[in-house]
Amino acid sequence: MKSLIKMLLVSASLGAMATAAHAQTSIDTSKTIKVAMVPKLIGLSVFKANEQGAIEAAKSLNINFLYTGPVTASAQGQVDIINSLVARKFDAITVTSNNPTELAPSLKRAMAQGIAVVSYDSDVSPDARDFFIQNTAYPAMGKALVDSVEAYAGPNAQVAILSSTPDAAIQNAWLGAVKTYMAATYPNMKIVTTQYGQSSPSLSLSAGLNILHAYPQVTAIIAPDGAAEVGAAAAIEKLGLQGKVFATGASDPNSIRQYVKDGVIKASPLWDEVGEGKLVMYVARLAANHALKSDDTFTVPGLGTYTVNNKVIIFSKPLVFTAENIDKYNF
Amino acid sequence: MRYLFPSQPWDRALVAILVALFSGFCILTPGFYNGFHGTLAITEEFLPFGFVALGLSVVILTGGIDLSVGSISGLAAVIMAILIKSYGLNTWLAVLVAVGAGGGLGWLNGQIITRLRVEPLIATLSTNFIYSSIAIALAGASPPYGFGHAFGELGTGAIAGWVPVQLVIFIVLAIGFSVLITRTGYGRRLVMIGYNRDAAHYAGVSVASVERRAYCISGVMAAFAGIVLASYYDAVRADMGDILLLTSITMVVLGGISIFGGEGGILGVTLAVMILGVLRQGMLIAGFSDMVTTMLIGAILLSSIAIKNLFSSRGFDFGSIIRRLSFLRPPERMTSRS
Repeated sequence: MKSLIKMLLVSASLGAMATAAHAQTSIDTSKTIKVAMVPKLIGLSVFKANEQGAIEAAKSLNINFLYTGPVTASAQGQVDIINSLVARKFDAITVTSNNPTELAPSLKRAMAQGIAVVSYDSDVSPDARDFFIQNTAYPAMGKALVDSVEAYAGPNAQVAILSSTPDAAIQNAWLGAVKTYMAATYPNMKIVTTQYGQSSPSLSLSAGLNILHAYPQVTAIIAPDGAAEVGAAAAIEKLGLQGKVFATGASDPNSIRQYVKDGVIKASPLWDEVGEGKLVMYVARLAANHALKSDDTFTVPGLGTYTVNNKVIIFSKPLVFTAENIDKYNF
Repeated sequence: MRYLFPSQPWDRALVAILVALFSGFCILTPGFYNGFHGTLAITEEFLPFGFVALGLSVVILTGGIDLSVGSISGLAAVIMAILIKSYGLNTWLAVLVAVGAGGGLGWLNGQIITRLRVEPLIATLSTNFIYSSIAIALAGASPPYGFGHAFGELGTGAIAGWVPVQLVIFIVLAIGFSVLITRTGYGRRLVMIGYNRDAAHYAGVSVASVERRAYCISGVMAAFAGIVLASYYDAVRADMGDILLLTSITMVVLGGISIFGGEGGILGVTLAVMILGVLRQGMLIAGFSDMVTTMLIGAILLSSIAIKNLFSSRGFDFGSIIRRLSFLRPPERMTSRS
């Protein structure tokens, strides 16, 4: 028992020393490294915002940066790209995955060759990456989504869910948090239907119209997906239900700006995608330097201090866009 | 005359292209040549397309088309995964059941086409929707994954650490299909139907039964491709076969099999599988984006059909013009068109 306590004390003090050392020394950027960022697909504005932040950070971190991804949101396309990055001997691969399981074997092969793997936004299975950057804590996002409609549709609102696909990991995690928070805080709020827009603007719009036609009692649509939120808002506007039905979701400010100004979307939580792209590069640099442990802290100039908790780093609290602040963000 | 720009020179041209591509990438692209096994292992990333292409060849030789291969492979993989994960069935038994199910789905395509007289394009387009929705419904919100190390060997293993398992299976199957088409009565009837359906019918060939078996074969190969994908990714998804269809058709056509049927062979298809696979993987390793490679595959499909049609009697018949130039004249053939 005594030796156990001793061991704990020693490890705790070692941990403290390591933390202190990190806080003081800056990141070693003497050697140029090659880092790739693999989004779910190329040509989507939220991922471009990540890229924008990553490019800014890459300059100061002596990183040779590459942004590459599949043409469609396919995990198999991502695997092809990851395999090619392994063959090209990249030092670090950062990826937001289309699904957690299919990417795992190829990422494990990358790790076996000494390549640092950092996932962000949508995680892969934990044994297939070194670190995961979670954009916001799931419970916080769930709360922000519910609060964004509760303030306008009231605590007794009949809510419809419009998500991307039935097996989208991050959407399901958020919706789980939405249900938990709703049940605990607003017991009279009710989810009447859950529909899917397959992350496609046109399918999301028709799913949104279906919801409004089939469930006239619905006064709020929670659509935690970029295309789904736009589809829900467009459906509300098309049927002239502004002020009666409120949408919220997780979309970049550029695509929802008009709906926020029209009042269809009163509040919509997300996070600062540009800042997140910066953080991804810092973590990639630290991971490639072998300078980050599974439980650790580090400071990013301009962003703040982050805690690594069992290889998971939480980027920030949700950032809620409203008519007042949305013009401050351009991505 | 049947041989206009004969299949033989087409195959020879494909060999030349493959050798040029492969050696070009080995020399010019750092990271492409990665030791003997490392380089061969690149084939693991595209051979599932090849399995589908072999089965599709049989259907296209009859002049038909099978658009449901992608959904059959997704559905077969999902069936296998559910049998393993939810019913605890032995992995290899589940593989057999899934491949059998693929054959059944293909056979159903054949029944619809021959008994209900629905055009292959429409019939398999419809079953494609049906099969893929069944797969999505079965797979549910969290499709199964993690099928164990032994099963993973099918997609990523290597025999004696040298030759990828997938490559060995592909070569054996390609030889099997080649024998089936050129050395068996069934294969002869298959090509005859594609070449001239009415003549085959009046010659006493049971056109419908030959066709039904062709779609069945295509279903079996599609299901097998789905199983290999499941092994490679160690996971299944209902839509995992969606990418297979278009590339596989490209491989069959580039391989020299006429989209109208009755013309071409398995050697060409095998070479086309290697060419498109090496090209795509090589370009990705060389740092071209997915956009450029996808665009190039489209361009290749277009130009290969155009070249083939321009030289064949079904098109402008440039082949006969070239043949009149004596120094290019191939040995005379006895086969005649009419």
